[in-house]
Amino acid sequence: METTTINKEEENLLPEESLLIINKMINSAKNKLADDGFHLIFWGWLVMLCALTQYITLKLNYDWGALVWMLLPLGGIFSAVYGYKQAKTQKVKTHIDTYLGYLWGGFLIAMFITLAFGYAHGIKSTYFFLMLLYGMATFISGGILNFKPLIFGSLFSFVFAILSVFLGDIDQFLCISAALLCSYIIPGHLLKSKFKSQQYA
Amino acid sequence: MLKDLDPILHSQLRLAVVSLLVSVKEAEFTYLKEKSNSTAGNLSVQIQKLKEAGYIEVEKKFKDNYPQTICKITPKGLAAFEEYVKNLKQYITKK
Repeated sequence: METTTINKEEENLLPEESLLIINKMINSAKNKLADDGFHLIFWGWLVMLCALTQYITLKLNYDWGALVWMLLPLGGIFSAVYGYKQAKTQKVKTHIDTYLGYLWGGFLIAMFITLAFGYAHGIKSTYFFLMLLYGMATFISGGILNFKPLIFGSLFSFVFAILSVFLGDIDQFLCISAALLCSYIIPGHLLKSKFKSQQYA
Repeated sequence: MLKDLDPILHSQLRLAVVSLLVSVKEAEFTYLKEKSNSTAGNLSVQIQKLKEAGYIEVEKKFKDNYPQTICKITPKGLAAFEEYVKNLKQYITKK
């Protein structure tokens, strides 16, 4: 490879200037928060709404409560369209985007399997495992994004998963709502406000 | 003895482009232009030089009927960058 000494360089860059450029560019590329919290907020509210509706209808002896879960496939379409549009406007793809993509992709597969086959072990074990999955996915996301409220919030899902073992079938819906509020909704809104504040910084 | 610095990387704009690409998985031309505060013409020339040296991969495609250029650092580019930083540190410490 052809090399030259620093003094003969076409642009006469000093070593200190080179280090400054490297430092400036690396910092400008890494200091952006990679997530706007949309999916956490959207899924947190949607699933909590479904769980609370089912809880209330079961308590009041109405039998239509389970129908509310039909909203989830519609939510899936909306979420996918949002994600697709977001990806189209993105000018840069970071390694964090890739890690988060694999994490939530794996979470979705595990969640579908739990929902489809978990009933073989009863409703309680299904919701127990769902809350563990919520906790694990948000815990790892919080770590990847270096966002402490998400890490802290994720711990509540683990706590509510343990608590659910000691509660009845109907109360599982209350438990899952509380887990979503602490692990998704509150950290999601905090993430959104941090994302917005850096946009205007 | 001090090692010579890689002339491909020892240029303000090419170094800026490689430093940005080291930090991300891939980036669009417009992102590199905005971050490096350069003109489209100059950036195109420097990207071509980096591509010819095998330091970056350039993929051209279309997004909403507009041409889109995506750049990504190669293992050779990453190794060259690491070597460049190592040699740069030697220059600074020997001063």
